[in-house]
Amino acid sequence: MRRPPLVVIFVAILVIAFGELGGAVLSQLRPATTRWAAARIAANPQVHGLTGSPEYDDTVREQTVFATEAGLSFFHTHAEGTGLVLFFAATLVASVVRPRALRGVLYALLTVGALFPLGYLVYAFAVLQLGRETGIEIAETWVLTPLGASAIVGLIGLAVVLARREPAAAPGGR
Amino acid sequence: MAPIDTWRLPPRGVLLAAVLLLVVAEVGGASMSRYKLELARWARTGMLAHPDVHGLVGVRDVDERTLDEALFRFDAGLRLFHMHAEGMALVVIASTTVVTTLARSTLPRRALIFLLTVGGVGYPLGYLIWSALIPAYGVERSKAIAEWLVWIPFGGATILGLLWLAGLTGALLARR
Repeated sequence: MRRPPLVVIFVAILVIAFGELGGAVLSQLRPATTRWAAARIAANPQVHGLTGSPEYDDTVREQTVFATEAGLSFFHTHAEGTGLVLFFAATLVASVVRPRALRGVLYALLTVGALFPLGYLVYAFAVLQLGRETGIEIAETWVLTPLGASAIVGLIGLAVVLARREPAAAPGGR
Repeated sequence: MAPIDTWRLPPRGVLLAAVLLLVVAEVGGASMSRYKLELARWARTGMLAHPDVHGLVGVRDVDERTLDEALFRFDAGLRLFHMHAEGMALVVIASTTVVTTLARSTLPRRALIFLLTVGGVGYPLGYLIWSALIPAYGVERSKAIAEWLVWIPFGGATILGLLWLAGLTGALLARR
């Protein structure tokens, strides 16, 4: 099977590598991550609605730290997955899509789409700085939705090419 | 040297290891549902045989909560094994294919394939070991064992291999 361009391969490997690093941070640096998140929450008391009441504030702190860890966890799982999706989908594009311009468009859509997991990192940080609702809104509006849409459109484009009947290849390839 | 436009497959042994890991992952997933009761019973029997390890005090209400928590972790370890084995097998196939195609020098190619294969296949086994040791050693101690024996060395090998591969691919890109 033909391989995709180097830049696409590079992005796929980088996304998988950062997904692995994210997993390592989650497990090995969990106490440090929790402490750092708690410090960020304490530095933004108004954003998180801290009242000074220990019981209430502890609950808010726990929920927000949990949201941050969830964002990191989602980043880890999705980065591992989208890196692989990019690798295999781009290989199919390289092997079955004939027109060069269309190949380029599909590579671009799929490669940009593979960066989708960054939305969960944005969410994890934004939740701490700006609060849960604003964090979700920012991550969804500016990262998850556009990048996710890019991946979906790229995959639909690939599916359309695969579904169409192609004339038999001329000897010697393209 | 002209760039290679097609993927070169990694050594057959690497592919076999990845496929076997996939098989074990799938069988593991199937076993988790088919033998859910038997596995829970086995784990529970093991925990009851080691009351000191699990802090069992002989009071039913207290002990049931402790046992439930440990059984939850036992089940979680099996699920995490299933998920990670499925995923890491694909990571091994994809990454070693990239290495075989792009790494021209023998020594880096072999080193990368070794790191990625051994790391990728070994890492998920840590979850299986964690679950298997919970009845006898308790949740935290078995986690520490799995961490130092498996997750850190094998996970570290995989991360090192992937970052090295990313660097190699980036260098090739920069050279163009």
